[in-house]
Amino acid sequence: MNAVDVHNVTKVFPNGTRALHDVSLSVPEGQMIALVGLSGSGKSTLLRHINGLLMPSSGQVHTLGKNVGDASRRELRELRRDVGFVFQQFGLVGRISAMENVLSGALGSLKGPRFGVSMYPKALRRQALENLDRVGLADQAFQRADTLSGGQMQRVAIARSLMQSPKLLLADEPVASLDPESSAQVMDILFRIVIEDQLTVICTLHQVELAMGWAKRIVGLRDGVVVLDQMVSDIDQSDVMEVYRRVEPERSPQELIIIDKSPSTGVSHP
Amino acid sequence: MITRTESPSTSRHFTQLRPPLTRQSVVTRLLVGFFLIGTIWAWGRIDMSLTRIFGGIGDINNLLQYMLPPSFGSFRTAITLTFETLWMAVIGTFLALVLSVPLALGAARNTTVNAPVMFVCRGFIAMTRAIPDLIFAAVFVRSVGIGVLPGVLALGMHSIGMIGKLLADSIEQSDPMVTEALKSTGASKRQVITTSIIPQVMPSFIGIALYRLDINLRSSTVLGLVGAGGVGFLLKKHLGQLEYDLALGVVIVVFVFISAMEFLSSLVRGTLIGDTTTPGSKFSLLRRSSMPQKADSRVHFAQVSPKAKSLTPPWTTDRTKKLTYGIIFLGLLLISFTQVNLNPGELFFALDDIWRSANLLLPPDFSTAFNGIKNGMIESIAVAFVSTALGLILSLPLGLFAARNIVARKSIGAIARFVMLFLRGTPDLIVAVIFVAAMGLGPVPGTFALVIGTAGFFGKLIADSIEEVDPMPREAVFATGATRVQEVFTSVIPQAMPALISNLLYVLDINLRSSAILGIVGGGGIGFLLFNSLRVLQFETTGAIIVTIFVVVYLIELVAGYVRKIIL
Repeated sequence: MNAVDVHNVTKVFPNGTRALHDVSLSVPEGQMIALVGLSGSGKSTLLRHINGLLMPSSGQVHTLGKNVGDASRRELRELRRDVGFVFQQFGLVGRISAMENVLSGALGSLKGPRFGVSMYPKALRRQALENLDRVGLADQAFQRADTLSGGQMQRVAIARSLMQSPKLLLADEPVASLDPESSAQVMDILFRIVIEDQLTVICTLHQVELAMGWAKRIVGLRDGVVVLDQMVSDIDQSDVMEVYRRVEPERSPQELIIIDKSPSTGVSHP
Repeated sequence: MITRTESPSTSRHFTQLRPPLTRQSVVTRLLVGFFLIGTIWAWGRIDMSLTRIFGGIGDINNLLQYMLPPSFGSFRTAITLTFETLWMAVIGTFLALVLSVPLALGAARNTTVNAPVMFVCRGFIAMTRAIPDLIFAAVFVRSVGIGVLPGVLALGMHSIGMIGKLLADSIEQSDPMVTEALKSTGASKRQVITTSIIPQVMPSFIGIALYRLDINLRSSTVLGLVGAGGVGFLLKKHLGQLEYDLALGVVIVVFVFISAMEFLSSLVRGTLIGDTTTPGSKFSLLRRSSMPQKADSRVHFAQVSPKAKSLTPPWTTDRTKKLTYGIIFLGLLLISFTQVNLNPGELFFALDDIWRSANLLLPPDFSTAFNGIKNGMIESIAVAFVSTALGLILSLPLGLFAARNIVARKSIGAIARFVMLFLRGTPDLIVAVIFVAAMGLGPVPGTFALVIGTAGFFGKLIADSIEEVDPMPREAVFATGATRVQEVFTSVIPQAMPALISNLLYVLDINLRSSAILGIVGGGGIGFLLFNSLRVLQFETTGAIIVTIFVVVYLIELVAGYVRKIIL
């Protein structure tokens, strides 16, 4: 059975931008996929369709056997609970502790709002500490999130998604805002967890080398169209680089440089 | 001749000797012109003249003869009632905070339920902001009776306007990434609000609350003038019985109280806000800046098994401090409720009375007193213009002298600042009551009262905007051999101009709000009619007057906001 089935999805944003064009993708359970492509090629948009943060303009998305387009608000919440999502910008609340940020990953399984660590059940708190320990941050549990380093923040974010006991993990440029050393560290932790918990993973990545070493299958997107879909064992690095290189000759190299993302940390300091 | 035809661009360049008109300069000029014309019109409208000004000063001087020396015969009562206004301010601010949170969540684009809800919340917040607290008080005295309760409710209602707006702005500025991350874990909208948005807006929420408490401490002292509790009532009683020396004694108590509170609140804000903006002080900042640490390069796993570790957050100094402030706040609130003999439940039941009295005002009846409303509103606008203009004339020298970067001698600056503090120290309405007692009813004593407050307040704004001027161009101009005066005119005033114009609008806005209620104490304008319609129980006319005030004040606010966007 497939964990994710994307059928002929096209997404046009209200401002007229066509982000995805007739994209189809099937991901069997337990597979690890790397999505590669330039910034703006539609990778992040595709990921956000899989857990229903975005809805397709046409086409269908089935995630963990559920039709995302037809799901009610409650069904969507239930689906998101089973899908972990790791963001490039971490998405931690800076002013609360690492522990509370991790606990917030369990909100989907709780009724009503929570304010402060002490309002979560003991069992969940224990689980949160265990998850923090899995990413090597149990000692920093009660430190405020905005006092952590970038790599630590991303590890907290991973621990948060572990609270969901996800079957499927989506990661959107998880290491793009990190220095090489922290990147390697975060990817190692992610890899180990994925193997141990036998998760299905779809991860967008910029670094082709990292993608080749890590994933079983590589999918390349350009301007919202799938231009590459191969098992890693069948291709070599130059094939993947084609996804980035094959650009219309009229475009100047400067144009490509401008598109790159901003390096902000994504933790809010109000 | 040949050269000119060959290079037409340079010749055209030299014919343009005036700067081109930009949107900014056009708006600025229109505004200044509009203000001048408005002031000249208003001057005639309220029969202002130099003779009346000097006559008025003579009248006030006469009254002072009766007032001096002040008598503190009612000192104990004055102190008790002044503290009553303090408790009222605390409870009123608390009430506004409680009511503002849901309203702000409904008004902020990123947390609202849907467009109609957003529209209703924003409308309600704008309405409570535009209607002065004294008007709320006057209406509530009718619906729940004389005493502390209507005063607290009035402060609470009017404060929603400011707290709700600032809080909604702060919610809209919260980080959308965090919200998206929580949403993707399956969290509901309410859970996202408590876990992501509330921690993010907490520091600005505390700041807003303290700021509003500060304002309410000041405005609560006048609510007694309409019978809504506190020291204002005592003042009115003494003036009514022609006990002028006792009245002055009360004014002095109020003045000292307000000055002391201003000092205290700047002290509290310094420690409290200073702490919340840089939590954990220097150390956490240091830790944050040295991001990739050596020890961090290899993943550390806790030696102790997680089960043995604490599941509750440890008592760090930061947490202890937060708890202490929380306890202090709750204690203050508890003291306030017991001191004024108010049951918190009663407060929220009274919201039902508010609802009923709001219904009494509907539908607004414009026809019965159409001319009265029209003339009253025009008179209020005229008072606002004249008092702003006269206040500007008085405050310009004060502000210039108080600016530390213009006047070198410290003693002059200190005197100017003290004078401004003195002028601001007594609320407009209290000054108005005294001036009406001295000069009789009408818009002129009202204008006088507003001029006093404006001079102090505007002077401070002027001094602030001049002190913010960039010193580099000043040095450059001075280095060309200009005199100090020339230098001030070419480098300081042009730089401070946008801020000054924007402050002018702000003061005009504030004075319009004040002049709309001056009539309640006999200082001219629409307030008289408002108070009268309440007395003769023509509530629907009251409704019409409130709608009129709301529309005019809201229009001015919109225009001011638009102009500020262009010129700043």
